Amino acid sequence: MITASLNEYLVISGVLFALGFFGVLLRRNTLVVFMCLELMLVASTLALVAFSRFNGTMDGNVFVFFILTVAAAEVAVGLAIIVALFRLRQTIQLDELNSLKN
Amino acid sequence: MSPDYTGLFQALRPETSLLFGALVALGLDLSLFRRHTSGERLNLALWIGALAVLAAGAHVWFGPHGPIFGGVLILDPLAVATRLGVLALTLLTLGVATAARTPRNPAEYVAIILFATTGFMLMAAAQQLLLAFLALELASLSLYVLAGFDKTRPESAEAALKYFLFGGMAAAFLLFGFSLIYGLTGSIELLEIARQLTLQGLSPLLVVALVMVLVAFGFKAAAAPFHLWAPDVYEGAPTPSAAFIASASKLAGFTLFARLLWPGLRAAAGNVSTLHGAPGWLPAVAVISAVSLLLGNFAALAQTNVRRLLAYSAIAHAGALLLGVIAAGRSGPAPFFFYAATYGLATVGAFGVLAVVERTGSCQKITDLAGLHRRSPLLAGCLAIFMLSLAGIPPLAGFFGKFTVFAAALQLGGLAGPAGWLAFLAIALSALALYYYLIVLKQALVAPPTANASRIVVPTLARFTLMAAAGLIVLFGVAPSLLLDLF
Repeated sequence: MITASLNEYLVISGVLFALGFFGVLLRRNTLVVFMCLELMLVASTLALVAFSRFNGTMDGNVFVFFILTVAAAEVAVGLAIIVALFRLRQTIQLDELNSLKN
Repeated sequence: MSPDYTGLFQALRPETSLLFGALVALGLDLSLFRRHTSGERLNLALWIGALAVLAAGAHVWFGPHGPIFGGVLILDPLAVATRLGVLALTLLTLGVATAARTPRNPAEYVAIILFATTGFMLMAAAQQLLLAFLALELASLSLYVLAGFDKTRPESAEAALKYFLFGGMAAAFLLFGFSLIYGLTGSIELLEIARQLTLQGLSPLLVVALVMVLVAFGFKAAAAPFHLWAPDVYEGAPTPSAAFIASASKLAGFTLFARLLWPGLRAAAGNVSTLHGAPGWLPAVAVISAVSLLLGNFAALAQTNVRRLLAYSAIAHAGALLLGVIAAGRSGPAPFFFYAATYGLATVGAFGVLAVVERTGSCQKITDLAGLHRRSPLLAGCLAIFMLSLAGIPPLAGFFGKFTVFAAALQLGGLAGPAGWLAFLAIALSALALYYYLIVLKQALVAPPTANASRIVVPTLARFTLMAAAGLIVLFGVAPSLLLDLF
């Protein structure tokens, strides 16, 4: 059976993180930005699990459980903020959110 | 090693009492006090919150010290001092909330403040990456909600969204940095990480991890160039939330940052006392500090909105605090703790004054403060103390904070190296900072009130809060050893 090496996992996780990061920077729809944020968290999760496997300690795996929980809480808070904003402004496009002067 | 759950339980009694207080406030509000007016419900929740904070303070003071649960938590002098400072700032924030507009769900507002405080308390003591991350996220998620709590104003929701997006990105960066550190050292305990890093030295992967962690803390601390959220959040968030975000979260964040960098990543610190020192995170922190000092002070000069002015001044203060973190390796954490705690007091106070002025109309522009000495001499006097403390005028606490931090930075190598130059830059920019604080004070103390401005009645609790904050600033300015003796 062919197993992937640690470096391959790290490259994938780095690529996922970069995808998420540039998504956050470049996309203008708040929901898509939000999904990109989650992608960045998932990238770190992948790195943690890979490290946990190759270090032979359980710390990374346990860390991932907590990250999943935190990510769920973050989704709840984030979506609540987006809904509150949509009710007041009828838009979730980042370009149109300029009532605070920049 | 068998886990010591009794010790853990005793060490976490402050957090337990905060959570208990939050749940009691929520429960009573939902059951017995459902039909009361929102003002009464707010008062009840605030009193329960204040009691919980006081109980937590007593538990911190009389509680255990030293490493807890095999070193997952450390209750050293820095942790105890930060916990007490955070609790005091929370109490003052609750006092500010009595003056501000009553939120639609008062008990939830207080409960979320208490949840955030729980996060700060854990941040102050965390000595392990997982706990540090969880504590930071508990605090951050609560703060996002607090920023967006005023559901009638679009500005509040917009501030919350910006804070959330930047904060979420910072959390992801921090997590990626943590996962790389874990991968390099095989441990998430700070002491074990430190031991492993001394053996390994600076590898490319560690550099990436350091950059990620520094970017994340730059976001959280609102240091330039990661400060973009701060002015918008300070402007849009409800006033007590802004006070809380600007004070307690700064103090806890910098404590966590210093603990992570100095005991944890000391091996990769590098050197800033000479120009050609070893590479590491110190030079990077020094650059962030310099950029924050310059950008914060110069941008604050151009502001017409008093909250944005406070935000840019917060960025400048973050730069000075980072200088304190740099110096903490040699001088210990006392200087930057003193700076952060007294800065928090002055900021809570300043936002408290804004909250009271807001009762009679909007208070966003600096000119909205015009004639404050006629409208309410007490508010004008308190504002003068807070602003002059932020500017660093003796004998107020802000002066001594600046003094200890700059003195500690100059001890790193005198004027021969970047640390000394940075201290010199910070001193020069303090003079500049005095100018924009005086612009605010000129409106409050000299300018005549506008034609339709009425006298401002200060509610009793708010008056007590402001006087307590001002009194503490004078007290710590005259007798700084009261705080420094905690170390």
